[in-house]
Amino acid sequence: MMAVEGVVKRFGAHTVLDGVSLTVAPGEVVTILGSSGSGKSTLIRCINGLEALDGGRITVDGLDVSDPRQLARARRLSATVFQMFNLYPHMTVLRNITLAPELVLRRPRDEVEAQAHALLASVGLAGKADSYPGQLSGGQRQRVGICRALAMNPRYLLLDEVTSALDPEMTAEVLAILGKLAARQSGGGGTTMLFVTHEVEFARRISTRIVFLDQGRLIVDLPTDQFFAADGGLAHPRIRQFLSKMAPAAPLAEIPA
Amino acid sequence: MRHAGFTWHDGALLAQGLAVSLGLFAGTFLIGLVLGSGAAVVRHFRVPALGTLLHTGLELLRNSPVLVQLFLVFFGVPALIHQPLTPVFAAGLTLSANTAAFVYFIAVAGLDAVGRDQVEAARAFGLSRVQLVRHILGPQALAFAVAPLVGLAVNQLQVTSLVSVIGVVDLTKAGDILNLRTLRPFAVWAMVGVLYFAAAKTLTLLGNRWERRLRAHAAPLGL
Ligand SMILES: Nc1ncnc2c1ncn2[C@@H]1O[C@H](COP(=O)(O)OP(=O)(O)O)[C@@H](O)[C@H]1O
Ligand SMILES: [Mg+2]
Repeated sequence: MMAVEGVVKRFGAHTVLDGVSLTVAPGEVVTILGSSGSGKSTLIRCINGLEALDGGRITVDGLDVSDPRQLARARRLSATVFQMFNLYPHMTVLRNITLAPELVLRRPRDEVEAQAHALLASVGLAGKADSYPGQLSGGQRQRVGICRALAMNPRYLLLDEVTSALDPEMTAEVLAILGKLAARQSGGGGTTMLFVTHEVEFARRISTRIVFLDQGRLIVDLPTDQFFAADGGLAHPRIRQFLSKMAPAAPLAEIPA
Repeated sequence: MRHAGFTWHDGALLAQGLAVSLGLFAGTFLIGLVLGSGAAVVRHFRVPALGTLLHTGLELLRNSPVLVQLFLVFFGVPALIHQPLTPVFAAGLTLSANTAAFVYFIAVAGLDAVGRDQVEAARAFGLSRVQLVRHILGPQALAFAVAPLVGLAVNQLQVTSLVSVIGVVDLTKAGDILNLRTLRPFAVWAMVGVLYFAAAKTLTLLGNRWERRLRAHAAPLGL
């Protein structure tokens, strides 16, 4: 269980997260919606320990991320996929994927490389293991980013607008992969996801719950069907306004249900 | 005026001088590399007092002439500690510290040039600071730094010639001895110059090859 309890985060005088509470239980796919600047990325960065908290508490399976030792253990349980991919440009695709499992999880190289090759094949990049990130398209890079995260065998997967730097076609490629991952969840025992996205239709299909961040406050936290119900999330003017501004979703036809 | 001819012995003297120059260069450059990049890493992780202290000290070293530093160490320090220093020791100390100062500023720029986003990715994936330096920051900073480092190396090789003034028998001092004996300054200094050139050119070629290897991941622009 990931538990965010009354988290406050400020940058100077600007309060970016203002008492945010949220839990993600194993097996859930929770989507965070909210307009640009509402604090979604900051929340993800607080969970993976890239930002220090100014108040409240975050635990991952009971490990407090504000404590350096516990954070180091918490980071072995979760993995992040970044908006701008954040791959290591001086390493091959294969090494990008195997680095942390080898160094952090101390798994044997043979085993990690075999898994990396299998992951790459599963996202259609079997031939790219020895390429460098600079030689790949954005969509391919993000698929590598997903493989890098999955190679950690994470209990929790954090995804921050992983398709917003991609064109619609590449977005569809990446969403297709995430759709499959999410579908695998329903069987249980797989990766739990906390998912920041602007792909509302996609979120509606794969999420168990949707939360809405507005200017650093989490104003709604509802099961997906209730979020889109007229007397649920849509009852909030801010959410209605947000949804009406969202562009029609990416070519959904290409995304497996 | 009678000229003494060149003998085999002169060749041996030059070779010995060259070996001293190269040895002094290699030793002090290596020490300078380690110290300078170590200080840069300390600075990069914003270690409070230590970072500022190192920065100030190294800035002083970078902004004063090597010859002055050499005199300070060779003549000044013994007056302070009431104990003479050997020329080679004083030369080694001065050149190491001076190289460290230049390496430090190159390494700081190299570390700053590594993209923040991938550093954050590595941290989020649980890499420790040491692992981060070894696998992410170090190799990339080195790729940025290698060209200026090669330039620095060529310069520091030539700077070693200053140690001849405190009595180290390096290539320049060997040339000096030879010149006094043979009284053929043009031939002697041309020979010494060619030897320095050959050493510097070799360094540049090795450095360029090394740079190409480090930058293998950055595909050349297909213009
Ligand atoms: N490092 C930072 N320093 C100062 N302000 C920041 C920093 N990171 C984010 N912010 C501010 O925090 C607010 C929330 O940003 P962010 O979490 O990126 O929003 P979102 O991901 O929802 O678009 C924005 O106003 C942004 O300008
Ligand atoms: Mg964001």
